[in-house]
Amino acid sequence: MKPMLSTELNTPEVVVEKAKIEVRNLNFYYGQSKALKDINLSLPERSVTAFIGPSGCGKSTLLRVLNRIYELYPKQSAEGQVLLDGKNILDRSQDLNLLRTKIGMVFQKPTPFPMSIYENIAFGVRLYEKISKSEMDGRVEQALKRAALWTEVKDKLNASGLSLSGGQQQRLCIARTVAVKPEVILLDEPASALDPLSTAKIEELIDELQADYTIVIVTHNMQQAARVSKQTAFMYLGELVEFDRTEKIFTSPREKRTQDYITGRFG
Amino acid sequence: MSAVQEALPAIRGSRDATVRRFAFTDAIFHGLTRAAAILVLVLLSGVAISLIVGAWPALSTFGFSFITTESWNPVTEKFGALAPIYGTIITSAIAILIAVPLGIGIAIFLTELCPRPLRRPIGMAVELLAGIPSIIYGIWGLFVLAPFLQTTVQPFIISVFHGIPGLNSLFAGPPYGIGLLTSAMILAIMILPFITSITKDVFDTVPSVLKESAYGIGCTTWEVTRRVVIPYTRIGIMGGVMLALGRALGETMAVTFVIGNAHRISTSLFAPATTISATIANEFTEAVGDLYTSSLVALGLILFIITFLILAIARYMLMRIDARTGA
Repeated sequence: MKPMLSTELNTPEVVVEKAKIEVRNLNFYYGQSKALKDINLSLPERSVTAFIGPSGCGKSTLLRVLNRIYELYPKQSAEGQVLLDGKNILDRSQDLNLLRTKIGMVFQKPTPFPMSIYENIAFGVRLYEKISKSEMDGRVEQALKRAALWTEVKDKLNASGLSLSGGQQQRLCIARTVAVKPEVILLDEPASALDPLSTAKIEELIDELQADYTIVIVTHNMQQAARVSKQTAFMYLGELVEFDRTEKIFTSPREKRTQDYITGRFG
Repeated sequence: MSAVQEALPAIRGSRDATVRRFAFTDAIFHGLTRAAAILVLVLLSGVAISLIVGAWPALSTFGFSFITTESWNPVTEKFGALAPIYGTIITSAIAILIAVPLGIGIAIFLTELCPRPLRRPIGMAVELLAGIPSIIYGIWGLFVLAPFLQTTVQPFIISVFHGIPGLNSLFAGPPYGIGLLTSAMILAIMILPFITSITKDVFDTVPSVLKESAYGIGCTTWEVTRRVVIPYTRIGIMGGVMLALGRALGETMAVTFVIGNAHRISTSLFAPATTISATIANEFTEAVGDLYTSSLVALGLILFIITFLILAIARYMLMRIDARTGA
């Protein structure tokens, strides 16, 4: 292992005009085992950042720290700082429910709630906003349009969310996330359970959404990372190996391990 | 020809013999297991047939009026099953009303909120409730719960609801201690473990990622439970409730102790009453006439049909949730 100062890692050529999220000296533990080692990184606002790396490298773990969903499980803990607009969200005083309305999350498998398509979206909105029926109709329509699902479901809004196909369900989950007007959207391998056509739709959607949202995507699919993201972080064994512009990572990475991974020599 | 090819016929021969032997033992095994399965059906239909045969004299004498009349008179040999049917259904229904919210509450606490070290002790304590023999619930109900209700709770409730139309007849005195409500409370305690453990099991079938996505849009634990976990497991919960109801309908010993054994239909929940199983248990030894005995068997037949239907519905509901989560 060659000596490498962590500050060296943190001076990538990514021009961060305004960091939406800043991760500082983050360590993460599953019980006793350390899953993230001293992570430092800045995620620029209104832009797509991809986390890549082999299974178990900690990329999903890092994502799950950003909205503190890991706290549902008693043995998991994080130390360090995660700043959202300069405010540390790992702070005890941070209200979790409020945090999660600001940072939406979409999972690997589609997870429609056991209710109608309309309710799947209205449910989240209603938690924090009191709005009239007609306003709600507008919000639902807008969210479904945003997720490129409106034309497919507009005649069956009262059908169960579970009645949709896998790709449609995933877009419903994205619509649901968008509807609560978050600032950041976390995508945990959102297309890995989908066919190529649905994947293309999701990628198109991500491309459009970055005009308004800060997006973080975890993916196993390197072509996908190359297609959708502006900057890419390569992680390996709980460490952040390299973080740079996506172009740079995929054409002339600084680190040998990055190069080995993206050329398919391991992982 | 190589050595292997020469040996082939011999190998084939011994293999054929083995295959024949396997086919034979297989057939025996198949036959045995099938016989065991058929035995269950034979037993079940045997019970049903003997109940029908035994109940026939009463049913043919009284006809349909057997289940619509209240009088139960061994002296004149006029029997009607309405009072025990009423008592059975009312005690079970009230027991369900008490036990369902309690059981679901415990299940929610255990699966969503309980600190891990407390989870097993509480879960085991609830399951131990199911292991207490019903005779113990009976004597406890008669010697502890009933006197307590009689001296404190019932007089209080009667005085509170006195003069309120409807409620005053539902909670009318005198406070005997024993009666419909006391039985229902004992039953509620007895079926609580069923509801709790089945509800807990179906709550565990909710994919954690589904809960995570609900938390992920800012839901509180209450909202996740109310809007996601319970709707997702509704059918399973219903199945558990039905199983518990089946248990409550048939419970004999504990109820016999505290129901009061009166063949009367009263609007008051404090009044002594009777249930089907309590009537049979109490009166079988003193049933002298054929018609009397036959009437008791007919009561058994009615209980058999009611619980059979309830359990069939419960199984069907549990099957549906299995099919969904197994996919």
